[in-house]
Amino acid sequence: MASVAEFCDAVDNSTITVDVVGCSAYLAATETDEVLAGVVEGLNVFFLLFAGAVVFLMQAGFAMLCAGSVRQKNVKNIMLKNLLDACGGAIGFYTVGYAFAYGTNDEGGKNFIGTSNFFIRNFSAGGDLIGWFFQFAFAATAATIVAGTVAERCKMAAYLCYSVFLTGFVYPVVVHSIWSADGFLTAFRDDPFRDVGNVDFAGSGVVHMTGGATALVAAIVLGPRKGRFYDEDGNPLETPATFQAHSVALQILGTFILWFGWYGFNPGSALAIDNPDSAATAALCAVTTTLAAACGCATAMFFDSVMDARATGEVSYDLTMAMNGCLAGLVGITAGCSVVQPWAACIIGVIAGLVYYGFSKLLVALKIDDAVDAVPVHFANGMWGVLAVGFFADPTLMAIAGYNEEKGGVFYGVGGDLLIVQIVAVLWIVGWVTAIMTPFFLVLNALGMFRVDALEEEVGLDISHHRGSAYDLTAPKKEDVEELMEVRASRHGKVEVPKEVAQAAETEA
Amino acid sequence: MSENFFTTCQEQSGSENTTEILQCISDSIQEQAENRAADLHDFLYVLAGAMIFFMQSGFAMLCAGSVRLKNVQNTMLKNLLDACGAALAFFLVGFGFAFGGQSESTSTSFIGTTDFASVGDSAAFWFFQYTFSATSVTIVAGTLAERCQMAAYLCYSVVLAGFVYPVVAHTVWSNNGFLSLANVNPLINIGAVDFAGSGVVHVTGGTTALLATLILGPRRGRFFDAQGEPLDTPKPFPGHSVALQLLGTMILWFGWYGFNPGSALVLGIDEVGGIAATAAVSTSLSGAAGGVSALFTNLFLEERRTGEPHFSLLMAMNGALSGLVAITASCGVVEPWAAIVIGIVAGWVYLWTSGLLLRLRIDDAVDAIPVHMFNGIWGVFATGLFASPRLMQSAYGTDEFPGLFYGLVRRTNPANLLGCQVITILFIVGWTFVTMFPFFIWLNYKGWFRADSLEELVGLDISYHGGMDNKDGSVKKEYVEAYKRHKGALRNRRQSNTQHSTTSDGWRDSAATDADPDSDPLAAAHEAMKEDHSLRSS
Repeated sequence: MASVAEFCDAVDNSTITVDVVGCSAYLAATETDEVLAGVVEGLNVFFLLFAGAVVFLMQAGFAMLCAGSVRQKNVKNIMLKNLLDACGGAIGFYTVGYAFAYGTNDEGGKNFIGTSNFFIRNFSAGGDLIGWFFQFAFAATAATIVAGTVAERCKMAAYLCYSVFLTGFVYPVVVHSIWSADGFLTAFRDDPFRDVGNVDFAGSGVVHMTGGATALVAAIVLGPRKGRFYDEDGNPLETPATFQAHSVALQILGTFILWFGWYGFNPGSALAIDNPDSAATAALCAVTTTLAAACGCATAMFFDSVMDARATGEVSYDLTMAMNGCLAGLVGITAGCSVVQPWAACIIGVIAGLVYYGFSKLLVALKIDDAVDAVPVHFANGMWGVLAVGFFADPTLMAIAGYNEEKGGVFYGVGGDLLIVQIVAVLWIVGWVTAIMTPFFLVLNALGMFRVDALEEEVGLDISHHRGSAYDLTAPKKEDVEELMEVRASRHGKVEVPKEVAQAAETEA
Repeated sequence: MSENFFTTCQEQSGSENTTEILQCISDSIQEQAENRAADLHDFLYVLAGAMIFFMQSGFAMLCAGSVRLKNVQNTMLKNLLDACGAALAFFLVGFGFAFGGQSESTSTSFIGTTDFASVGDSAAFWFFQYTFSATSVTIVAGTLAERCQMAAYLCYSVVLAGFVYPVVAHTVWSNNGFLSLANVNPLINIGAVDFAGSGVVHVTGGTTALLATLILGPRRGRFFDAQGEPLDTPKPFPGHSVALQLLGTMILWFGWYGFNPGSALVLGIDEVGGIAATAAVSTSLSGAAGGVSALFTNLFLEERRTGEPHFSLLMAMNGALSGLVAITASCGVVEPWAAIVIGIVAGWVYLWTSGLLLRLRIDDAVDAIPVHMFNGIWGVFATGLFASPRLMQSAYGTDEFPGLFYGLVRRTNPANLLGCQVITILFIVGWTFVTMFPFFIWLNYKGWFRADSLEELVGLDISYHGGMDNKDGSVKKEYVEAYKRHKGALRNRRQSNTQHSTTSDGWRDSAATDADPDSDPLAAAHEAMKEDHSLRSS
């Protein structure tokens, strides 16, 4: 780049310094601006790219959590469903989903659904495209929540139908109402609902409740797995049978990947990093996310230990409780991660752990079977997360995160407007999802397309649908191993010691 | 900040000379802005490179899940070692061969000749390029799994990362390569577009894998029975853990978001945003389309043949990876719809070539050849068809030579780019062939290549790594029962303690004095354990 001052000297090679000064200052400012504008755009794109990719890795987390939680005979099936979620999510969100969610109308008023930009045709700027990518990662997450709940008994075709339906239509409508500029609950317009609009920063409600409510409806319509609550003759069991998770290591791997992914999910939802407010918001999100997860984990596990000790007199520490408590805390903080103080994040996490514990027991009492406890984690805590914002949102943080600074949680004494909006949002999401998904699942069920055959379920879906089991843990043949050892021993000139001699030598030693 | 500039500049040039002070200030501001941008650029390189490096664990998990239990340790060690070997080889010679001296000279050359054992001008750039070379090397590991000797593996991974791959990277990516877009006098006025390395990384690795498996031969019992008679249908060797396979696939897909959009960073920081975003979108769409098309095409064909629907996870996973490989060459220069088309075709290419390899009795333990080599070729070729002039303009500053389809519509220079792409494919396959083929033949001739057939039968874990510990991780039933009995006794005693107030350590005393296993469960457990140990040690 040619020096600005040299250029200006050439422009006006006189001694009138004022001209040169003006020219220099102007050109230096413009050129620096240009450089910075490019850098800032690139930086924002890469911020969303990394955050979106980290959110995408949550697919692997869900897959591993599900894989570990189901019985060995269904692993292949659940893995395929998780992979197809990612694929179907991308295609569904590309064709219609994004248009329904963020497409604009000419009128500019509040409306129910977006109707433009199908196949993201009008995109050319980097910011738009990377926005699509980030939103796609979220849509795929919403769809994949359901996979775990209906595991071990749902037909492949049914799964495909509803996952495309969910990412293509149901989820985008929720997004449109809460996150787009034209939604009736959105905070991002001049005249939001009750002057504030719904504060759901990263999607406790939009993503997790939508997925969780779908899972709940599906679990009710689908019925429990064979032998979980009823014996073979259909009589209720006294205590529900627990189906042992087949790999704890995979479950914990999944939990950690999900936790990692949440650092893209929550801080990434700041959507930009080029100004101090966005950066501060992203940093706060990372802190609150961490604290809520930790508190949720500890609460759920120790509460379970205490309750268990009172019932049986023995203290045990349940890993499943710890893992799901951790995830419950993460879901609970997702809505408010940018607008609550760290201490409030701890409280939200603690209550999230208790909500998870209570709701999980409630589901068992109601004989609703959830293979991975996704309903208590995502639905119940999604709801708690949205409501918690209505209590704990700090008005100063609301201002930094770009919401209306005059409103906030009821604990800050700024009125109950935000809480009312949050309650309306919860009712809207639950109502919309149940109203759409219940008939959908009932029809699937009536057509016999929803649940697998009883015998297929008994054998496991891997053998009945995917030709063979997921694991082959056969070791090499013993004779072969012995032969090799003999060959090796003779090669090295070792003499084989008779068994009796070896044993005698050992007892002496 | 500007005050500091003012004072330093005033000190430098004296307070009298206004023009000089001014010049100094404006220079300082410009310099600062550029330095900031450069720092940021380096940091993004490191982040993207770290994501690409994470693909090593993706490949490792995919291989681990795809091999039989008796070879897991061996395959894992190979995956770890090729990351290590590639780092050393790429540092010592590879980087110099690939990018040495590209900033000083503009002449076309076959190979770089400076910057050996150094990271060149920018450490960030070195790291970024290293992760690509490591990826190229690790592709081969899966194909050769379960039958390749350890030493042979080390030899070729060093040769690949230190020499063969760098020459390809030099030719296509450095300013001095004869196929490079950045060459001052590019081939047929345009040069080849290989945005993130369908050709440079995946075809190079995949071709090496093909040559290696041709010489190495199939695993025992795959196509021929014990007498050497060909089997009617090849025997499938299913991997030992589908969960690990899927984990590997997902990690790879994640890593691809560093691989493809990250490659936009090579173009410089100013315009990088839009191109990286395009790359992220097309990567997602192509991977998704590849998975769906392979799964459902396979489902349809199988149903026609057997009458049963069969949702194959393997097809979906490899299809998705195929889509990702295929879009790698063109991710920054094609529109989203073209990415979907490329992905769908990639799924078909995978299905077809995977079947073809089986018919030709070429054994590939993880199907890396169909995924990386054939889809790498398709990806480079597809760039010549679909590259859009608008995106070529923003990525490479020229819209005169778009892909064939756009060129035919405009009727100008329709085939220049496609021609370059075809030459690139021929060059990469040819170069890998002439270097690696004799190398493998020599290894084989020396008897260093293939594991002994008995070693193969037993599995490489026992043969090379002293056994597989804790085969199934199960606890002996007797232990569990003994423990339960002990626990029950403990509870009874506790209750009786509170009722009769005997000594609280009663059971412990009895264990020490009275070793009768029937009356004391803890002693029984110890007894069982002792027996087991003596059995094991004998």
